[in-house]
Amino acid sequence: MTLPGSLDEAVAALSAMPAAVPVAGGTDLMAAVNSGLLRPAALVGLGRINEIRGWQYQDGHALLGAGLTHARMGRPDFAALIPALAAAARTAGPPQIRNAGTLGGNIASAAPTGDALPVLAALEATLVIAGPGGSRREIPVGHLLTGFDMLRPGELIGYVRVPLLHAPQTFLKATGRTGPGRAVASVAVVLDPARRNVRCAVGAVAPMPLRPLDAERWVASLIDWDGERTLAPEACAAFGDYVAAACIPDPAPALDGGEPGTLPPAALHLRRTVATLARRALGRALA
Amino acid sequence: MGGMTGTAGAAGTADGAVTTAPVTSALAGHAEPPPHGLGVSLPAADAAAKTQGIYPYAADLWAEGLLWAAVLRSPHPHARILSIDTTEAARMPGVRAVVTHADVPGDTAHGRRIADRPVFASEIVRHHGEPIAAVAADHPDTARLAAAAIAVEYEVLEPVTDPEQAFAAEPLHPDGNLIRHIPLRFGDPEATGEVVVEGLYRIGRQDPAPIGAEAGLAVPRPDGGVEIYTASTDPHADRDLAAACFGLAPERVKVVVTGVPGAMGDREDPGMQLPLGLLALRTGHPVKLAATREESFLSHPHRHPTLLRYRHHADAEGKLVKVEAQILLDAGAYADSSAEALAAAVSFACGPYVVPHAFVEGWAVRTNNPPSGHVRGEGAMQVCAAYEGQMDKLAARLGMDPAELRLRNVMATGDLLPTGQTVTCPAPVAELLRAVRDEPLPALPQDDPDQDWLLPGGPDGAGEPGAVRRGVGYGLGMIHMLGAEGADEVSTATVKVTGSVATVICAAVETGQGFTTLARQIVQDVLGLEEVHVAPVDTDQPPSGPGARSRHTWVSGGAVERAARMVRTQLLQPLAAQFGMSTELLTIADGKITSYDGVLSTTVGEALDGKELWATAQCRPHPTEPLDETGQGDAFVGLAFCAVRAVVDVDVELGSVRVVEMAVAQDVGRVLNPAQARARIEAGITQGVGAALTENLRTSAGQVRRPDLTGYALPTALDTPDIRIVRLVEERDVVAPFGAKAISAVPVVTSPAAVASAVRAATGRPVNRLPIRPQAAVVTAG
Repeated sequence: MTLPGSLDEAVAALSAMPAAVPVAGGTDLMAAVNSGLLRPAALVGLGRINEIRGWQYQDGHALLGAGLTHARMGRPDFAALIPALAAAARTAGPPQIRNAGTLGGNIASAAPTGDALPVLAALEATLVIAGPGGSRREIPVGHLLTGFDMLRPGELIGYVRVPLLHAPQTFLKATGRTGPGRAVASVAVVLDPARRNVRCAVGAVAPMPLRPLDAERWVASLIDWDGERTLAPEACAAFGDYVAAACIPDPAPALDGGEPGTLPPAALHLRRTVATLARRALGRALA
Repeated sequence: MGGMTGTAGAAGTADGAVTTAPVTSALAGHAEPPPHGLGVSLPAADAAAKTQGIYPYAADLWAEGLLWAAVLRSPHPHARILSIDTTEAARMPGVRAVVTHADVPGDTAHGRRIADRPVFASEIVRHHGEPIAAVAADHPDTARLAAAAIAVEYEVLEPVTDPEQAFAAEPLHPDGNLIRHIPLRFGDPEATGEVVVEGLYRIGRQDPAPIGAEAGLAVPRPDGGVEIYTASTDPHADRDLAAACFGLAPERVKVVVTGVPGAMGDREDPGMQLPLGLLALRTGHPVKLAATREESFLSHPHRHPTLLRYRHHADAEGKLVKVEAQILLDAGAYADSSAEALAAAVSFACGPYVVPHAFVEGWAVRTNNPPSGHVRGEGAMQVCAAYEGQMDKLAARLGMDPAELRLRNVMATGDLLPTGQTVTCPAPVAELLRAVRDEPLPALPQDDPDQDWLLPGGPDGAGEPGAVRRGVGYGLGMIHMLGAEGADEVSTATVKVTGSVATVICAAVETGQGFTTLARQIVQDVLGLEEVHVAPVDTDQPPSGPGARSRHTWVSGGAVERAARMVRTQLLQPLAAQFGMSTELLTIADGKITSYDGVLSTTVGEALDGKELWATAQCRPHPTEPLDETGQGDAFVGLAFCAVRAVVDVDVELGSVRVVEMAVAQDVGRVLNPAQARARIEAGITQGVGAALTENLRTSAGQVRRPDLTGYALPTALDTPDIRIVRLVEERDVVAPFGAKAISAVPVVTSPAAVASAVRAATGRPVNRLPIRPQAAVVTAG
């Protein structure tokens, strides 16, 4: 176990011990260790790297440290900057987990139910990856989550670059209970008035967040960006259905041209849940 | 941590020197003596230690030179074992012993009720997680790695996971697949009603999910015996089955009960105790095992998943005419308590209602699903959800108020159960139902805008006020007290008085139900002494039986009271003789003995004059009889009833449900400790809310899916409703000691039915499956 004090020291420690595993909040990793699923040869603790525990501003963006805890992101000052990420952080588990679990850990674990992930996907965030020798490279968050571009040996997620959009954003999540729980489905909606965009991502229904791009473009074209920025309830409902159908498509028609199958009841319920969440999320963003 | 320091110094010797329970009470030394005796809210003596985290549980125990055990469990629900090769595991550095079925010296099959379960699977594995071998090593990780290194060759067999298929399937066990069949026949099969409603109900697999997972320490004795320190809730039964499996006489095995970290059913899993004892005997070292949460979910028994078909006949006024039902319990791989659960399910299949004609067919069958067993309210809880669903259906069909329909049918003292038994105990069912019905409803959020509205889905959730509908539903439940059908219910207790201190020695295990507090109150009441200790439990004491259905309040509480009265007589007899008066004219209070006229006044200490007084007594309630081949018989000693009114909010687009309030009225006989009674009811309601909404241990093809507390959602504080105990009806049950009835189980039995009823009222959906899935609570437009 080593406890480096800076990002570059941590990268150096990881490079020196390729078998070592980085640990931040440990809410996923230590559960796996305790249940015997994972036996890391060594741990590199990231908890003392102060430079990644806060955030800074950079030309219209916020550079979020990967060590930001969910509890910190849930506070009102952060919520004023990136409301959807704050909302996601507030729903991520019980207070004990939120106090320990970090933004970077949520990305690195890449669990389908990771609450920050759909928000980052909707924000089109980029990751600042620290590598050996003080190197830095930036990749879109989606590239890491889809496995298109993986972390290389010795690399760490240092920061997350998120645009500051100065417009409403929402994150809504359905769970099976009133208390904290994993998402059955979650939806993030962000408005980008400068680019006249609506961006939406759906979490937990697939291994990585899904972006219903056609639905986004369609609904953005309906909004009067210079005026009231409101939509009729029917348009929000149509957007919800559009998003849900894109994320949970109907079964493809059989190759022999026969009748396409129907979705099983559980998938239909999930689709209805996504449609409801997307409708409510857009409605609240435009309210 | 404190548990370690409390035990480390004394451990390591084989003569029982391992400390298992704290003696001191943090409450001692108060200037003002707390109220004591029956009827007051005496706090538990161990409450402070438990809340401070210094109370030692089995997982905190330590002994010098101990080894760690790990159990290899089957990854398959059904397979033939072709070979088990332990050579690789035994060769690993640090491994001291590896045991399999071939190393069991005594009986290879065991069971708390029916001996049909192997200690280790030898030829066939019958459920996912069945023990196959165990390892002792000098480090827990070594033990786990060695267990994983045991090479087992399986021929995977098709599992039988649908209980309906169990009848026709190849026998899964030499005892066959049908564990019990009860065809209850009561009244005229030709009777019909003007209105008939039918329903099919499914109840899921609730897990007791004790907050402390299974753990134990086995210490070999110099005489070739073994001592097992564990959170057993039936230590004598566990000792007997362990001795039989070890090939030892029962007196060579001692079970010492440690603190019990949560028990809603039987603890501790014999599948853990037996390997522990075998490994300690084999290695000659103390051996400790602390199960992981996953092992805990895989090993202990669960609530019986149940399929129920009902047909209710009623007349036009809503009076029940006939109930026909078929009840199928999935017992899992082994019999355990399934026969008793089935008896409860069949006997209470019609609920606390007067039903002139009843035809109930019940089966408990063996499958390759996880084992089912004793979980609070077993059998009664499943049928309650079904018969209350039928009552709602009947009310809807007749256009009647659901509470009014129930009131027209409720039973009272003197009515008959469908088993032919007359209800002789108090049965104030109508009073209970009226109490919850007449309680004002909680304010609607729009009427109380100052109050934060916790929407379904939780704070910061997706809930939207416009999509939320409120529903109100009712549940009436009943359960029997004590073991049924001729079970020999008996308990023995000893009371000792020295100076002004009394000690109770009784093998009734404190499982959180509050027995030790009650025992102290009983002795305080009888002997007028404030300071009463309850000794830790082990099997050197006479047996008291398992903790279930509040039987310890009855049989063990009764035994403690008798023993205390005997001590009282011994204490007062000489004084009474000296002053020529009857002992009834003397009273003891606050350690002082006074006569009615004040002539005599002395202290207990002076009266004892340095002597110790001991008395031992037994309590054995009147016998019961087994149900006959048509399900008839006086099978139960007593019954307890409860009425619950549930208020729920449902987000009808997402199907998310929040239970807003549960109003409870319960038939308790007599309240012996008000704070404890309320706590037990609140716990029961919460467990019932879990069964209604989230608690279901899922399997696919016999494999347990997600055996962890993320996958298995217990109610959190946010899921727990406002629990309002509207009335505790105190009609004393004359045959029960103190007139007190069972408290803990009946709220668990009743509350899931009430929640389902309320969701039905909110959504208009049938809601015939527990836990209630979100898709069952969605109202689609149009």
